[in-house]
Amino acid sequence: MTIDKDAKYDRQLRLWASTGQSNLESSHICLINASSTGCEILKNLILPGIGSFTIIDDKKVSNLDLSSNFFIKNNEINRNLATVTTKNLNELNTEVKGFAIEKSIQDLLIEENDEIFWQQFSVVIISDYTPKLNQLIDILWSKQIPLMIVNTVGFYSSFNLLTSETTVIETHDPSKLYDLRIDLPWEELQQFADSFDLDNLDDQEHAHVPCIIIFIKALQSWIKTHEGQPPWVSYTEKKNFKKYVELLSRNIVLENNFAEAVSSSHRAFQITDLPDSVKQLLKISKENPVTKNSSIFWIYIAALSKFLQLNNDVLPLPGTIPDLASDTKNYIDLQNIYKEKAKKDQKLFTEQVESVLESIGRSKDEINNDSIASFCKNSRLLFVTIGSKKFISSHFIEQFNHEKDQSKIKKYLIYFGILTFNIFINEHNRLPELSDLKEFIQLYNEKIDSTTLAGSDVKVFEELLSHNTRNYTNLNSLMGGVVSQEVLKLCTGQYVPIDNLFVFDGIESSSEKFKIEY
Amino acid sequence: MRDHSSVIPLLKTIGPFNEVADDYNYQSAWDRLSTSKILVIGAGGLGCEILKNLALTGFKNIHVIDMDTIDLSNLNRQFLFRHKDIGKSKSEIAANFIKQRIGEDNINIIPFFGKIQDKSIEFYSQFDLVISGLDSIEARRWINATLVNLSSSNNKIIPLIDGGTEGFRGQSRVIIPSFTSCFECTLDLMSQKITYPVCTIANTPRLPEHCIEWAHLIQWNIEFGSTKKFDADIPQHIQWMYETALNRAKIFKIEGVTKQLTLGVCKNIIPAIASTNSIIAASCCNEAFKLLTDSNPYLNNYMSYSGDYSIYTYTFENNKRSNCSVCGSLPKKIYVESYKTLQQFIEDIKDKQEIQIKNPSISSISGPLYMSSPTELQKITKNNLSKKLNKLISNGDEIVITDVNLPISLRLIVYFTSDEKDPELN
Ligand SMILES: [Zn+2]
Repeated sequence: MTIDKDAKYDRQLRLWASTGQSNLESSHICLINASSTGCEILKNLILPGIGSFTIIDDKKVSNLDLSSNFFIKNNEINRNLATVTTKNLNELNTEVKGFAIEKSIQDLLIEENDEIFWQQFSVVIISDYTPKLNQLIDILWSKQIPLMIVNTVGFYSSFNLLTSETTVIETHDPSKLYDLRIDLPWEELQQFADSFDLDNLDDQEHAHVPCIIIFIKALQSWIKTHEGQPPWVSYTEKKNFKKYVELLSRNIVLENNFAEAVSSSHRAFQITDLPDSVKQLLKISKENPVTKNSSIFWIYIAALSKFLQLNNDVLPLPGTIPDLASDTKNYIDLQNIYKEKAKKDQKLFTEQVESVLESIGRSKDEINNDSIASFCKNSRLLFVTIGSKKFISSHFIEQFNHEKDQSKIKKYLIYFGILTFNIFINEHNRLPELSDLKEFIQLYNEKIDSTTLAGSDVKVFEELLSHNTRNYTNLNSLMGGVVSQEVLKLCTGQYVPIDNLFVFDGIESSSEKFKIEY
Repeated sequence: MRDHSSVIPLLKTIGPFNEVADDYNYQSAWDRLSTSKILVIGAGGLGCEILKNLALTGFKNIHVIDMDTIDLSNLNRQFLFRHKDIGKSKSEIAANFIKQRIGEDNINIIPFFGKIQDKSIEFYSQFDLVISGLDSIEARRWINATLVNLSSSNNKIIPLIDGGTEGFRGQSRVIIPSFTSCFECTLDLMSQKITYPVCTIANTPRLPEHCIEWAHLIQWNIEFGSTKKFDADIPQHIQWMYETALNRAKIFKIEGVTKQLTLGVCKNIIPAIASTNSIIAASCCNEAFKLLTDSNPYLNNYMSYSGDYSIYTYTFENNKRSNCSVCGSLPKKIYVESYKTLQQFIEDIKDKQEIQIKNPSISSISGPLYMSSPTELQKITKNNLSKKLNKLISNGDEIVITDVNLPISLRLIVYFTSDEKDPELN
């Protein structure tokens, strides 16, 4: 990256670093319908520098489009929407390549039935529902290309993410827990802990022993004096352990390291085990052995399984430690012990990746040390979800019928209302209005849920029909932000995206997310 | 010509959730779009979005204030600016761009290139609504206090809609002065710059940040004295910081000092992307639209958005605090160790989350204890700095803290704790 680019993208590189940025720069985003929401989404992706985008739309710019879309100029009425928005959006960042296709998606699907065309896209976005999408959904699903469908009607909006599988290595887990192995020190860490003889240190040295060492010592002597019982068995015992640590201090007011140990005693209670999420991944991996076509994520999981067999079911060490009250030397020595162990684990893990690659007939040249390091650092925090392809399911309706929370019920209804809104347009070729309420409800009962709606529930539909526009700038722009954040996560391969439905109520300014299961 | 066909359906019909349905009138709602005067504070990441949204939803009288000029690092999100605009005024370029795109006849935007503190109370009292998209906490406190003061002294209620972002997160809130909680009520919720203890920086550095702060807070002054003030926007200054920090890191075998980190620590950089600005600005403008047109009820009164692990939003009513120094009537309580001098006390309150006053002047009932300005008063009162606070006032006394840069009088009742000895001296 050039210096100029580093400076220009500085504020985002602090979120996803150069690895995320280069992923972003190699992505190609497709937008179907150059609506105001769609252009807002692209604006937020072109600015941070996606590689390229393609807009597909055969419509001409209308007064309504101009009224709500900032990326159309006043003299562009009646010109092709895809072409003018592509040109105007491209002005935001000349490093991004923009393409316009002046065709309807239906026509395009007839022409481009060879599926190669779709392969070029990293993510496909449909802004405002378009009928007859099943063929497209099937193609994208089979190619594992995420499809996002966003709708806004008046003050309401919804957004679906349809993708067969999402895997994230760099989750940037917000809990920020460190994997310190205080309960299970490896040889070098144990030796380092043993090198501190707390009773015989002078006051100055005693006040600079890092709390990790204090914990290792305290935990081991506690277990010895408590019939082999660790302190994390109960709340009372945890409290007692805290006191136990405090009593090791010569003067808790003056010894910051001991004060820190007392206030961060939760670190000592962290048990080194395999999290359920990892067990689940290993189970999936066992049931679906890797093949020549497997993604690198699943190759890593297969390698992880081998690694765990060789490493007593203990994950690779991330190797990072928090800042600790300590003098510089003790801290750096301790940090190096963690780093060394992490390197060793990484080496063993790399060997397993090589052996997996070999077993499926793929080249070792695929090995990428940065990517492996990132996997090892995050192996406790990996994210995977099996997506779903449906807009609605009987299971989802059942969930709705059992829901008691009024605020959630409302969000279900907003989503169902938007689906019905689209069905109505499809059948009548016009927007439904308040005078269509009766027919609207009938349509809902026919296509979505036959259960009779309560009076308070009908209000949500009344609201949709009262403010029956897809072009409310504020909601368009808000959803433009929401959807683009999710695209950024998918394209950088970092942070955990939504799974898989988001509903926003712009009256209450509240949201809900759902998963539509089969 | 650009018309408002996208706005009509939002106003024409009264929705079922409208709480003022009996008084609602389409024509007057429509008229309010062209008559309302809106002030936008900040023409940066949020400001560009806010201006676009207001313009497209039919508002016609907008003022925008920003003291900043355009920097290369703004271009990843501030979409009204181009490379050729670097160095120019944000508010002026933004206003021009909107006028050009929307059409001069459709909108009147007046930019002001300067500080919000430069404008008079009369200036602020002309607006129907203020939207702030600022990252500076101090400026947000200033406008909040100014508008709350206007509500109590002139009975003029000007709603303030405040937005803020950080990475994938952000929040928007509606403040109705005198009626809802205000910005100052929740000052302690704002994330603050990370600071490191001076003794760590000076004696036991462990992190690359410690080395950078050593260069930044200690070494710069030793090297250049007060003759050359550090400016993070001057590349040579940052280069010096980086090299000095790197040398120190080498001595202590600390890894990880980079130019990017140096810049981040010295400038207290907060990550920012277009997407989050888009969400928060749109939320602010949606509330402004509902509030001014009565088309639907507005947010009561706080929404936070978090996109860094799936998506979470949290909407709630933030309560007024009776001891808020802007909208409350009661003083705050503060506990001070008995050994502390006035100087030490001042250092403490500067960093204290719910106080955060940079240049405090302090008075008690019996008169000024310390005045940071004007210079004559500073000279007279500076002898007090080395005195112990408990020699200057008694337990349970009320003191008032002010700052020339903030229209706030912060009342504190001081209680002394028994710690007589300063642990730092050991
Ligand atoms: Zn307040």
